[in-house]
Order: sequence, then structure tokens, then C-alpha cells
Amino acid sequence: MTNQALQVARSGLDAQNRRMQVIANNLANVNTTAFKRDRASFETLAYQQMVAAGAASSADNKYATGLNLGTGVEMTGTERIDTQGTMNTTGNALDMAIDGGGYFQVQMPDGRTGYTRAGNFSLSAEGTIVTGEGMPVQPQIQVPQGATSLTVGADGTVSAVVAGQSAPTELGKIQTARFVNPAGLQALGNNLLVETAASGAPQAGAPGEDGRGSIHSGALEASNVNVVEELVDMIETQRAYEVNSKMIQASDEMMKNANQQF
Amino acid sequence: MDRLIYTSLSAMRGAMARQQATANNLANASTPGFRADVAEAQARWLEGQSVQDRAMAAESVINADMKPGSVTSTGRDLDVALSGDSLLSVQSAEGEEAYTRRGDLQIAASGLLTTGDGRPVLGDGGPITIPAADKVSISQDGKVMIVPSGGDPSQPQEVDRLKLVSPTGSAIAKGLDGLFRVQGGGALPADPDARVASGQLEASNVSATQALVDMIDAGRAWDMQLKLVTSARDLDGASADLMRLPE
Repeated sequence: MTNQALQVARSGLDAQNRRMQVIANNLANVNTTAFKRDRASFETLAYQQMVAAGAASSADNKYATGLNLGTGVEMTGTERIDTQGTMNTTGNALDMAIDGGGYFQVQMPDGRTGYTRAGNFSLSAEGTIVTGEGMPVQPQIQVPQGATSLTVGADGTVSAVVAGQSAPTELGKIQTARFVNPAGLQALGNNLLVETAASGAPQAGAPGEDGRGSIHSGALEASNVNVVEELVDMIETQRAYEVNSKMIQASDEMMKNANQQF
Repeated sequence: MDRLIYTSLSAMRGAMARQQATANNLANASTPGFRADVAEAQARWLEGQSVQDRAMAAESVINADMKPGSVTSTGRDLDVALSGDSLLSVQSAEGEEAYTRRGDLQIAASGLLTTGDGRPVLGDGGPITIPAADKVSISQDGKVMIVPSGGDPSQPQEVDRLKLVSPTGSAIAKGLDGLFRVQGGGALPADPDARVASGQLEASNVSATQALVDMIDAGRAWDMQLKLVTSARDLDGASADLMRLPE
């Protein structure tokens, strides 16, 4: 006789353990620019029908209620909670935060386009606007040597005063992309997301139009992790883990007693 | 041998089933909108020739505990907590209408609005499909509002209305997929007074303390029946000893 209660409680331990990993990752990224917290999603496993309600219990009688036993729980996925993080002013013109929906587009080393909301950009040795990992922002914008007073407008226009001139020159326009279902984007790490069949195709264009948020230069979007909320979730997870391990203990005790006494 | 062991065995089987139901409740302590299962034993009398001296125990999951779970604010537009005892209509795997309290709604790749466990949510006109939109929100009376791509954010448009139902007066039971259905078939009528709170999510209604007490209870019941089985064995052994011929 296998003890199903043991297996059911084990499914609970597994799920809570994985939820703890999600919370740990959220907390670990509390200071990551524009990080979006994940939420663990749980599902009940199928019920087992031991006795069907309405089945005949004898020639004349029927069971009024059935015996459907649940078989546990499963963590089926994580959802990215895309709420806006707070804006922290930095004063650096190349720090950009998106106010509203949308993502910056960067060229990844494998040639694909990555999407990110982390706007902590800098200039490469050649004067290209790049991410912290050196991936160029798309469309590429080249800042000439000796340029001063770099500014980025809300619509993504990058301009600077080029050496030898007095009036600012437009260097290019940063475009952002939005998705029909941003929750469907796949996270790669390094603050990067890539499109999937679930996210839909990117709709790139000028920031501030068609649901794309506007750009705030000189500010960075903070992570949307709320430490207090995560700590509460952490305690809840820990308690749920504890009660499930108690259940394993209790079921084990039952089997132990049976083994000893029979 | 005394037939007492069979009576005890039926009770032990019941205690183990009760333990599994409790384990399942505890395992689902974090599943949104989960409703705890209530297990109870029933006596099964066997008609004897003169006296009714055997009551076999039969365990059954009587119903789900429908008391509300705690609601927490999540700030996510597609999380909805249902007020009162109303239920959300979804489509089951077999295509028929079933009900749930689970309110962590998602938009699938196809644009279909589903619950967190992937059941298509039903509106007044069947499964709800969300067109490309800048913003999707759900109003208090369950209307699914969108701001179409590039549309005016101050002019949201209604796509459909969640089919919210009230189970008052109908017998509903949890099926093998964890969804509620009307017992004996049929559908619940839409409830125009049902309300939802967007940005909030109802947790599982499993009470850990209640479940722990149930767990200890089932464990003790098991041990007690075990004692009866061993007592029956001892009695049987004693009578066998009496029968033994002196050597």
C-alpha cells in the first residue's frame, strides 16, 4: 500500500521550495535597474475518483456523495508583474527610464534583438550608445568625439553640441518597442527579454506614441520589488513548507505504527 | 477469526483517505482561489439476521469548504477577487461551463483570456478574446475594458463582460479537475449584482490550524483502529490456545 498522503505532501514541499527560489530571486534583484518581480503560479493536480457520486452502493442504494481525493499541487510557472518601478534621478543624460509601456531594443551578440527596460547606458570606445554589457542600442546612435551637452528628449531624440559648432545637432532617435502581451516575453538574464510566440511581434517606433512610454533622460527605473511584500511572502512560504513537512511526519508515523503493530 | 478486523480495516482505509484529503488541502495552501475539501466518514450498516452489529466506515469528500479566502492587493490589472459567494465561469477541458474562484487572469498567446491554470474565461458571449490593446482592465461589475492599440486612454472600450454567477439555491460540487459544476448538470444563471475587485487576488481558503488538527485526528483514528486489529488478533490467539489439545 503506497501512502498517497506522503506523495501529496511532497508535492506541496516541492512547490513551496520552488516558490522560495522565486522570492529569493526577487529579493536578490531588489537593486537591479528596472527588474520586474516574478510571482509563482500554482495549480491543483487532478483529483482521483475513488467513489463516483451516484454510483450504486448496492442493488437499491446509490452513494450520495463521491470520494474524490486531490493529488497535490504543482508550481506551473512564474508571471512577471510588469508594474512600473519608481524613477530615481541620476543626472546622467545617458541614464534613461521609460515612463509607461515599452522596451529599449539592443543588439545581442548572437544577432537577435533583446528588449530591456534597464536604461543605464554608456558610450563605447567608438562613441556608440551601449548597455552595461556593451550591447549597442538599436537603432545605433553614434556620438562624435568631443561632443558636449548630450541630451535625450522624451521622444528619444538624441542631440549634442558637436565640437566646433554652437547649436546642438540631432544625432539620431532611440526607438522603443511594445508588445501585445509583454508577460509572454522570455527573460534571459542580464536584464534582457526576448520575443516569443506568446508575446507577439514587437511594434517598434518613437517613444511616447501608440502606448509606448516616453523617455526620461537622467533617471533610472528602479526594480519593482517591494521588500516588505517579499518578506511576507517568504514567511507565508516557509509556514506552508512547515505544515507540509508536518504532514509527511504524520503520515510516516501512521505507517510506522502499522508496521510495528501488525 | 472475529470479523472485527474488517470493520477496523474499513476505518483505517477511511483515515488514510482523510489524511490524503488533508494533505491535499495543505499542499494547496498557496493556490489562488482554492477551496478546501471536507472529508467525512459515514457509517455503512450491514443488515444482519438479528442484530445490526457491524457499521463499516466509508470515507467521502462531502463537499468543498466555500468560506472566502483572504484577499491581498497585488496591483496587477488582471487579478480579480470576487465578492461574496459568486463564481467565475470558465470552460472546462470537455468544453462545458464550469466555475471557479480563481481570479489570476492571463492573456494567452492567442489573445484568449484564461485563468492562471489555463481555463478559458467565459463572458456573456462565450470565451473572451482580447484584441491587441494598450491596456486591459476589469471594471467592478466584471466588464472587460480595453484601450485599443494607439487608442485614446481616456476612452476605454468594452470587449465583453465576465460571466459571474451566484450558486445560491443550486447544489454545486467540485469535479476531478478542481472546477465546480452544478450537480446533475446544467448551468448557473448570470448574477448582475456580482462584483469583482481588480488588482486584488483571493488566496486559498485552507486554514493551516484546522488542517493540522484534522491531520492529528486522522493519525490518531488510524492508531486506534490499529489497536483494535491487534486486540482482535490477541483475542483470536487466546481462543486458539484454548482449543489446543494438551500435549
